[in-house]
Amino acid sequence: MISATEAPAHGPGFLARKDLGALFALVRDDGRRLIGPTVRDGAVMLDELDGPDALPEGIRESQTPGRYRLEAGRPGRLFDHTVGPSSWKRWTFPPTVPVGTTRRDGAVVAFEPATPDAAPLAFLGVRACELAALAVQDRVLLGGPVADPDYAARRRSALVIAIQCTTAASTCFCTSMGTGPEVSDGADVVLTELDDGFVVTAGSRRGRELLERLPVRLATAEERDAAAGGVAAARAAVAANAGVAAPGLPSRLMAALDSPRWADVAERCLTCANCTLVCPTCFCTSVTQRSDLAGAETLSERTWDSCFTGSFAAVAGGNFRSRPQDRYRQWLTHKFATWVDQFGTFGCIGCGRCVTWCPAGIDVREELAAIAPPPRAVVTGMHLPAVTPAPDEAWLRPARVVATHRETANVTTLTLAWEGQVPGAGQFVMAGPPGFSAAPISVSRARRGAIEMTVRAAGPATAALTALGHGATVGVRGPLGRGWPLERMLDRNVIVVAGGIGLAPLRSLIEAIAAERERFRDVTVYLGARTPRDRLFVGELGAWSAAGIAVTETVDRAGADWLGRVGVVTHLFDHAERLPEGAVAAVCGPERMMEATVEVLRARGIPDERIFVTLERHMECGVGLCGHCQLGRFFVCRDGPVFSIAELGDAFGREGL
Amino acid sequence: MARPRLGVVKFASCDGCQLTLLDLEDQLLGIAEQVEIVEFAEATSARSAGPYDLLLVEGSVSTPEQAEAIVDLRRQAAKLVTIGACATTGGIQALRVFADHDAWRASIYPHPEWIESLATATPIADHVPVDAELRGCPIDPGQLLEFLTATLLGRRPRLPDEAVCLACKRAGSVCVVVALGEPCLGPVTRTGCGAICPAFGRGCYACFGPRETANVPGLRRSLVVLGNAPADVDERFAGFTALAPPFARAAAAGLAAAAATGGDDARR
Repeated sequence: MISATEAPAHGPGFLARKDLGALFALVRDDGRRLIGPTVRDGAVMLDELDGPDALPEGIRESQTPGRYRLEAGRPGRLFDHTVGPSSWKRWTFPPTVPVGTTRRDGAVVAFEPATPDAAPLAFLGVRACELAALAVQDRVLLGGPVADPDYAARRRSALVIAIQCTTAASTCFCTSMGTGPEVSDGADVVLTELDDGFVVTAGSRRGRELLERLPVRLATAEERDAAAGGVAAARAAVAANAGVAAPGLPSRLMAALDSPRWADVAERCLTCANCTLVCPTCFCTSVTQRSDLAGAETLSERTWDSCFTGSFAAVAGGNFRSRPQDRYRQWLTHKFATWVDQFGTFGCIGCGRCVTWCPAGIDVREELAAIAPPPRAVVTGMHLPAVTPAPDEAWLRPARVVATHRETANVTTLTLAWEGQVPGAGQFVMAGPPGFSAAPISVSRARRGAIEMTVRAAGPATAALTALGHGATVGVRGPLGRGWPLERMLDRNVIVVAGGIGLAPLRSLIEAIAAERERFRDVTVYLGARTPRDRLFVGELGAWSAAGIAVTETVDRAGADWLGRVGVVTHLFDHAERLPEGAVAAVCGPERMMEATVEVLRARGIPDERIFVTLERHMECGVGLCGHCQLGRFFVCRDGPVFSIAELGDAFGREGL
Repeated sequence: MARPRLGVVKFASCDGCQLTLLDLEDQLLGIAEQVEIVEFAEATSARSAGPYDLLLVEGSVSTPEQAEAIVDLRRQAAKLVTIGACATTGGIQALRVFADHDAWRASIYPHPEWIESLATATPIADHVPVDAELRGCPIDPGQLLEFLTATLLGRRPRLPDEAVCLACKRAGSVCVVVALGEPCLGPVTRTGCGAICPAFGRGCYACFGPRETANVPGLRRSLVVLGNAPADVDERFAGFTALAPPFARAAAAGLAAAAATGGDDARR
């Protein structure tokens, strides 16, 4: 069925196979590079094509889990294959693209964002599932608060010539995901291959204009029937394959986070990342730096990454997903559950690449059936609504260090001259010295004209930040994320609990409260530090008390010269007879400390809706595009870092998520 | 500020990793401007007893003399970095660990009693603490340059510990396991080489050693299911990084199977 596409006035046309060269010539005349399928190294790959001779004539594929072989297809047919290991994302979202350049000439530092590569492309032979994949990536990379400028430029310029599937591999399950095999929308031109040519329809004005310049005649009734018959054959073939029971899958899957099957699949899974790299929708990336030896020029590049690597969810001092089972669960639950929460569609479009190209032959259909067994419901399709592109955002901006203050042996507060938007309490910035990657740093104080970042030297990048002197330049992106919910605290009692460096994002909250103290009721701050020497903002505690904020401190360990309390921060509540009525709590510190604190607060009657925490995660971009900081249905950078415990639900404190 | 003092020394090895430094032809002058090369037998006759700000160590420890020398060198080096499969895992010569050392020595040398070699060839980290590792046989010039640059700038060098598969797929190569049935060790091997072998239709033979979370039993099972003989799969581990802990068991099994079938095969 090709009825959904816009047909010329007199119905579908017919392009003889011998005239396919004219299409190549037209596309080239328009200044486009033509990308299409061709046989290379034993597979049908998507590469730049010189002409129709490069297409995989008479080739079909045998695809089963972990195995792919080329076979003879129908003689003369150019599109008898289905999908190989490469996908169009190689051209819309290439493996490595420049993000920007940092130049340092003495004290002068400049950050220049990269210019997107705008060389226009034409894609020949895009399948229905792959159109769905492009639409999924459109939502991820263009549909959020911040759009990816490089993707936007490539995607918008690409001419899309789709091909209807008339065959299917055993790994295809587009009918389960509602993405095929029939092409519905998203293509400029749609071809259906017959023995001697193609039934053609236009899907856009750009496509119609192209067809008008080609030797296309009106298709006969027989040709139209043959085309419809070919697509129907593909549908029947896919329907006979194993599938995925998509309706209700997200909730079934999220209810199975403790399934023993995760450990079972982890024994087979090689965490090699092949599934994510052949997947046409996976979008996770990292940003890396390349410098000259003198450090005068640093090129930052965005590179395909994968949630299967060990470093993906690692932060200084730990890894949120160290076990292979954590990584497999992250991938599968993202594709089939949390992606729906985040973007309104599944992250899977049913192309089967991850099944074929898994060297261990792990079949997502089988794993899903075991982990989240299907109900007895009818499988229906998924609708992909149109994409609303969002405005682009600048890359790093230079900010000058105007003051530094050493808080402890390894914690320093940097004051940056700031002309941008004033960050709200609890918001953060991505910041890094020239030549280093940017790290998420919470803003510990913000006012017009200046912001402060309180940084603990946990790795080389943060060590370099803390070592910066007056006048140095830092690259900064922000303010980012969602901060503390001050409005929820108005006219209420407020409890603030900080562990170690966790006081930094809470300092901005405490100061915001102090500035309008009369709008809040009792405000109590509980501070924990490792030792007396690790206490932060010691000189400011008096001012907080003077503003009517009760401050109680404890340290984990101390010598004889410490006269205050000793013990972990939660022990402070043992001394409080009762917590104030209707209080709202804000907690920040190491994750274990926050878990313990939340438990105590709950036990003292504060509901999850009024307990707020701010989370630390690995972040590369800070704007919801790189995927590293995902926690269930959230990207911590974009949806947090401040969350209520009620919002986080099961995701809070769960190992490996 | 004085330039950091760089030394390059070797133990049991072929010198190929040291030559990688010389192969950085376009950057060599720049490196020589940024650091003072005080010891590098492959490049200069100037010698130094240390101390070194940065010491690159090639080769594994295979004689009693070397076992003493590395301890002394460690004392002279502020930062000691091992380079190559020999220094980081023992190298091809570590295959002796799986064989009868005395019998081999007697079969090769007319006067085996004159040869003072250990029954083992062990990575430098077995003897002294190591600050960083550059893997590979030989090391990758890009990684070496990245390491030197990052060290000079004070940032963390980008030496990913992920599987070869990521570089392979980014490069657009076709998976040789899935498309050709080749026994490829890429899924358990650390990246860094640029996935050269799969780009030429050959399986990876793990010259960069194990990656983080190397699922060797899982890969062995998969390769056997795809049609490879178990002994052939195991023998593939018995190469340049056979002594690396995640590989050693499979390597030993592969060598034992090869020995059982006899012939020259056993002595590879």
